[in-house]
Amino acid sequence: MKFVPERLEVAAADRITWTNRDFVPHSVTAKAAAIESGDLAEGKSWTYVASKPGEIAYICRLHPVMHATIVVK
Amino acid sequence: MKCMSALSTLALACVFAIAHAQQQGPSDPQIAGIVVTANQIDIDAGKFAKSRSQNKEVKDFAQLMITDHTAVNRQAGALAKKLGVTPEDSGTSKSLKQEAADNIANLKKLKGAQFDKAYVDHEVAYHQAVLDAIDKVLIPSAENAELKGLIVKVRPAIATHLEHAKHLQASLGKK
Repeated sequence: MKFVPERLEVAAADRITWTNRDFVPHSVTAKAAAIESGDLAEGKSWTYVASKPGEIAYICRLHPVMHATIVVK
Repeated sequence: MKCMSALSTLALACVFAIAHAQQQGPSDPQIAGIVVTANQIDIDAGKFAKSRSQNKEVKDFAQLMITDHTAVNRQAGALAKKLGVTPEDSGTSKSLKQEAADNIANLKKLKGAQFDKAYVDHEVAYHQAVLDAIDKVLIPSAENAELKGLIVKVRPAIATHLEHAKHLQASLGKK
């Protein structure tokens, strides 16, 4: 189980959409950045608009060993 | 084969060694039976741990096991129906049920931190044993491509659960 890609570079104001292609629920969660997708069932998508430059480390709240990073340029 | 050890790790290793030692691997209906049994065991252990533990991390992990393994069994049930395969019992599935009953009986004697440690230790051993069985027995033995594909698709979840359980085990060890 992992986020693909595990590191994503975007520009400020870009829209980032995650789609759960697994058969168990996952989330996109970064407490420090107040990002919380809620539980995403299989096939469900969630979109976040990156606003400020910087790095956002996020996890799946349900499977906290899943780590990934968004770099907002 | 000595399967009398009280240690769950060794008992589980024995359970899966039985399957591995068979000259011919399990048939597809038997593999379906092992998959369904192995998932149901962890759902049942999760339900028990969720009701018994007072530790939020342990309860969350137990709920995750219920959710994820229920999802796997939903997939397995749908595939078995599609393929017209009826999951069959085998020596391995029966041994798994016996080992699971022994585990629950042991957990029922424990409370608090001792319970949490025993549940999580067993989850680490269980997921390691399942992962080994997937690689050494289930994937090599599965004849139907879709059944093999399902097991391949499930493997990352088991590996993630194992890593999660090991983190939890380390975190409980520090308290």
